Formats: sequence, C-alpha cells, structure tokens
Amino acid sequence: MNVRKFIVERRRRSPAGSMAVAVLTALALVATGCGSDDADEQPDGPVKIKVWAWYPAFQPVVDLFNKTHTDVQIEWTNAGTGQDQYTKLQTALKAGKGAPDVVMLEFQELPTFQLTKHLVDMGKYGANDIKGNYVDWAWKQVTNGDSVYAIPVDAGPMAMLYRQDVFDKYGLTVPKTWAEFKEQGQKLKAASPTSFMTDFGANDGGFMTGLMWQAGARPFDYTAAEAPKIGVSLNTEPAKKTMTYWEDMVDSGLADTTAFGTTDFYSGLASGKYATYLAAGWGPGYLQSVAKTTSGKWRAAPLPQWTAGENAQGDWGGSSFAVTDQSKYPKQATQVAMEIFGANKDAWKIGIDQAFLFPTATPILEWDYFLGKNYEFFGGQKVNEVFVPAYNGIGEFEWSPFNSYYFNQLTTAMNQAVSQKSSWPTALDTAQKNISTYATQQGFTVAQ
Amino acid sequence: MTDPDRSTTTTREEPPGPGDQDRAADTPQRRAGAARRRPRVGRQALAGWLFVTPFAVLLVVFLLLPMAYSFKISLYRSTLVEGEVFAYLDNYRQALGDPEFRRGVWRVIVFGLVQTPVMIGLAWLAALLIDEATSRFSRLFRLAAFVPYAVPVVIGTLMWGFLYSPNTGPLSALTDLNFLSGGTVLFSLGNIVTWQWAGYNMIVLYAALQGVPREIYESARIDGAGPVQIALRIKTPMISAAIVLVTIFTIIGTLQFFTEPLILQPLNPGAITNSYTPNVYAFHQAFSFQQYNYSAAISFLLGLVVFVGSYIFLFATRRRSALR
Repeated sequence: MNVRKFIVERRRRSPAGSMAVAVLTALALVATGCGSDDADEQPDGPVKIKVWAWYPAFQPVVDLFNKTHTDVQIEWTNAGTGQDQYTKLQTALKAGKGAPDVVMLEFQELPTFQLTKHLVDMGKYGANDIKGNYVDWAWKQVTNGDSVYAIPVDAGPMAMLYRQDVFDKYGLTVPKTWAEFKEQGQKLKAASPTSFMTDFGANDGGFMTGLMWQAGARPFDYTAAEAPKIGVSLNTEPAKKTMTYWEDMVDSGLADTTAFGTTDFYSGLASGKYATYLAAGWGPGYLQSVAKTTSGKWRAAPLPQWTAGENAQGDWGGSSFAVTDQSKYPKQATQVAMEIFGANKDAWKIGIDQAFLFPTATPILEWDYFLGKNYEFFGGQKVNEVFVPAYNGIGEFEWSPFNSYYFNQLTTAMNQAVSQKSSWPTALDTAQKNISTYATQQGFTVAQ
Repeated sequence: MTDPDRSTTTTREEPPGPGDQDRAADTPQRRAGAARRRPRVGRQALAGWLFVTPFAVLLVVFLLLPMAYSFKISLYRSTLVEGEVFAYLDNYRQALGDPEFRRGVWRVIVFGLVQTPVMIGLAWLAALLIDEATSRFSRLFRLAAFVPYAVPVVIGTLMWGFLYSPNTGPLSALTDLNFLSGGTVLFSLGNIVTWQWAGYNMIVLYAALQGVPREIYESARIDGAGPVQIALRIKTPMISAAIVLVTIFTIIGTLQFFTEPLILQPLNPGAITNSYTPNVYAFHQAFSFQQYNYSAAISFLLGLVVFVGSYIFLFATRRRSALR
C-alpha cells in the first residue's frame, strides 16, 4: 500500500482517519520490535559464526582466521569483560535467543553453564581429537569424561609483577616468601608513606581465589559426574591463613584496598604508588592498555611462597571457547572454537606478542619463540621463564556450578570486612554459611 | 516494576500538563436532532479511542504484559538441580524475612526522609526567588539550575564519581574526607540526586507560580503584606498542589533508587553493597545470581511499598493538593 497517498487521502476526510494511520504505524513498530527473529537463513557461501570474546588484540586473530578459512567466517563482538559478558550471556540463554555461537568462558564459569545444559558437547564433533595438545589439568577443566564443553585457550598462572624503578629507588629486594614481602613493604612504607607494596582487590573473586588456591585451599569438591553432590569448604585453614595475612597487610598500611578495575587502581599502577602488582599471565596485557607509560619499568618474579623454596601456585582466570546451545551450526562452531587459537602458531604469535596470553596448548608452550621471547614491556626480560614454572605448579582445582554466586558472596563478604574493618577470616565464615545455604536451596547435597 | 532501568526514567517523568481535551463535545449543537447527533458522538468517541490507542498498546506491551509475566515467575522457584517448581508465595515470604531486603527498604526510607525535604526546600526557595526577581540574571539562573537535569543520570553520576575519587578527584585535595567511604557515601549519593533533580523541581514550581494571578499580590500589598509574607502566606499555599506533586514524584523515585548507587558501586563495592537499595538488590538477584524468581518477588514487594508510601503521603496532604 502506498502509505503517503493513503495519508493524503485520509487527511481530506477526517482527523480520525489520520489517527488510524498513526495507530497502524505504532502497531507496525511494536510488531517489528517484538516479533521477528534474526533471519538465520544462511546465504549460499560461508557459514557465519558469531563469537563473543574480550581478548586484547583479538581483531587480528579474527582476521587471520577469516583469511585462512573460506567455508566459515567469524563475526566477532566484544560483549564486555568477565562478569559483564556472563550477565549478558545468562540473560540471552534464559531468553532463548541472542546468544552467540561461540563464547569465551573462563574456566571457573564452565560448570555453571554446563550444568544448565547450555553448552554443546563438542566431543560429538571431533573435539576429542585434540586432547593430546593440552596438559591434564587444563583438559580436565573443560571436559567430563568424553564430553568436551570447551576448548582451552589461555591460562592465568600468577606471578608478582614489580616496578624495577620503585625497587631501585627505595633499595628493595625481590621477596621470595610472603614474610619477606611484608618486610619489603615495611621498608617501602618507611621510605615513602604514600606508597603501598601492592593493592588487594577485595572486589575480585578470581584474584582472591587464586591466592587462596596457592595456599592450598580447595573451596569446592565438585564434578559434573557426581552432581548434585558438592563439597563446600571455604573457611578452611589455608584460606583463613591467606586472609589473616592480607588483613594484617592492609591494617599495617602496606597494602591498599582500592577496588581492581577502577580508575584509581590504574592510576596507582601507572604512578608507581603500588610497587608490585600480583597478576596473572594475562595481566601485562591489561597493564599495557592502562599503564602504557610504564612500559619497560616492570619485571616479573615468581609469586612469593608461604614456605621458602616451594613452588605452590594458583591460577587466576584463564579461558576457553565454548559453543552455546543456540548455535544452529554446532559443527562449524566447534571448528571455530578449536581453530581460532588452537595450536596455530600464527594466531598464537599475535596472542603472545600483542595480548600477552599464556597458552595452554603444549605445542605452543614448548615453542622456542614463546619460551625465549624478550618482552619490551618488561625491559627485555624473558618473563615466560617465570610464568611457565608457575603454570606447572598450578595443580588440580574444581569450581562450583554457581561460580557467579560464589564470587559475589566472597567479594561481598570481603568488601564489607575491608570497609567496616571487621575480621577477614570471619568474613570467610559468613561466605561459607551463605554459600552452603544457597547450594542446599538449589537442590545440591552439601558436604561441609 | 520489573525492569530496574525503568525506575529512574519513568517514575520521574514530567507531570502531565493540561492535556488536549476534546472540547468539541462540550458544545452540543442544539439545532441538530438527537438522531443526527448520535453518530457524531460515535465518531468522536472513535476518534478519542484512536488517540488513546498508541498509548494503550505501548502500555500493554511494555508494562502490563511484562508485569503479568514477572508476577507469574515470582510465584515459581527455579533451582539449578530441580528446575522450575510452583512455590506459591514462598519468594514473598523469603523476601519479607530477608534482612538484606529490609535494610535496603529502610535505607531508602531514611534517605528519602532527609533528601526529599532538602531538595524540595531548595527547589521551592529557588522558585520563589526567581519568581520575585525579574532581571536577566534570573533567566540565566533558571537555565543553569535546570542544566543538571538535562545531563543523563548515568553520565552525571560518572562525573560525580570522578569528582569524589579519593586519588584523582579535585575534592580530595580540598578535604581529607573520603566521599565514598561507608559512612559518607549515602550523603554523596544524596548530593548527586539533589544536584540532578532540584533544578527540575524548581522549574515545575516556578511554572505553577506563573499561573497565579498577579492581582492577588496587588491586593495583598495594599493590605500591607511584605514580600516574605506574600511568599509564605500567598504564593506557597497557591502552589501547594504542585509542591505535593513534585514530592510524590520524588518519593516514588527515592524508593526506587537505582541508577546512582549502581554506577558508583564499582568505586567502593564495600560501601555500596549488592543489596544497597531494594532495586539494586532486585537487579543483582536477577543479573548476578540468576535468581529471576526471587528478583521478581522483590520487585513486586517494592512496588507495594511505593504504592503504600505514595498513598499515605497523598492521603496526608489531600487537603492541600485538591485531591479530595
């Protein structure tokens, strides 16, 4: 129908008529707004796979994939970092539409999405063929027997990144144990009252879990095969030891409590207010974007140990690619998940050089280029000589199938302990109580 | 009620002005017979319905249907292991007994009791002042006071977040006070809200003052009333209906307090917790913890609180606001 002609004609007749047009238009708008799905009819040609991920310098990796594949093409969106993306993803999965084909998920989120049956078992599409490319603990994180729920990409072995210029200025030595870490902190504080040895982000569940992991804490005892049985033990001795230590560091003014990810935190890293940054393998990638001016001033050292000479380590983050149940092309999506990075040296060269990713694929881990790379950001240091041993010391770890809730409870309890100056280990008791109650409410059989 | 985003956008919309009422119906044509008039009325009724339809459609699609849906899910409980089960009013029972929820409600009530009088008072004072002054300066002042309202809430809050920042903010250089600590952050939030809304409310009150016939002031002056007496005894009672109106909007907005705390939360998550206000709590229950059912129940209870709160206020001021 020729709308304009219709309007002109109606206008001569009566005001009610033109209102009718307006109503029809409004109805049409409402209908288009609420009705149509995305047209999923693939044109003849390559299959388009939607990918959500927030890796730094990811565009060239996508371009490389698209250049080297003719039948599959990636459409990449950055849907937010960490929790922001998970919130969007949960909502899209709940709504039944709007989720991508392939999504970047950190290891700790996998059980959650796997339990709600939103992840495609890629084992059916040949994902088990690449099992040999990954170390045991990484493959265990993403599988349940022969069911493969994600393809590991990078890991988050932790290390202590420190400012060489600050250490030189105040004559600090690189601490090997947490006790030494505190001593150096006191030395720094005495020389420069406005400086801190480090910043403790009580708003970051992954960071705190990584530190407790290093001390030997294993908050959850859970595997998909044993569901709905779950062991919850958050307030164990190693966890409390960790929190007691950090409470003391904060009380003594040696560690700051600015929330991670805030402008204040970044400005503290850039200005040298924080002498060290306890970070994961991917940390430098972020430092590059938020503290560019400090390039060349950083060095990496192993995470301080509780017992001198040990190699106890924790993991913070690390991620994988999973395929959602909304994908209409699970086979191609699996291919994308396996090959975006996979063990492809060209892709990984970008990942290593520009994004500071720490690979989980053994061929890359053993690649001379990776091991021998001098990082300009670290003043030419071969930092992987620090990160690789850290990676090897990580050990097994199980996540709960309600990780968002766990992180939220942990950060809520710790944030309150920080802001109300109440006991940190007691905050762990509170989190333990809440999480056990929640798990029971959710229908799990909880063993303390 | 269900979508927290709506809390600050729709509850404080501009008060409805005198609408375009169809006045044609007031002048019945006496010469025309009843038989000829009836279809006319019918056509006018149709026109009226057509005018209302776009609004009605949007109301149903974007408010009533989502509300019905969220009421439905508020009666269910879904767990990770067992899936969805009908739970009657369990979610409501849980919310009523939830200390976090109660604390949040209590917090916004206390916040409202302090912030609402301060802000309405400021708006009232400013409106009276610029109504009295007739210089070019008053027009400039009017505009300046209104500008914060033109800044989107999110942007305004982010801006204040930078100003409050203990490391990079200019305020921290002037004072040792940390504006984002547990003890002060509620006042900081109150300051943001006041900055954002005082000018808007001032304009509403000023517009009401413009509607007061000037002859009244004339006769008051002849009776010997000074400017202060005129302001307190004549102008204020004359615009009491508008004062009640802006207060109602403020109360509703305050109980649904959401955007500002959510935006400032990352700056001090220890002070602004996930249950800081009922709406923030509902948001986090849904989008951080995936407790959609419980979130819906909280939203409905909050709706009830808003309804009751507004009603109590209207009832208490019914003499003043001509709402008998």
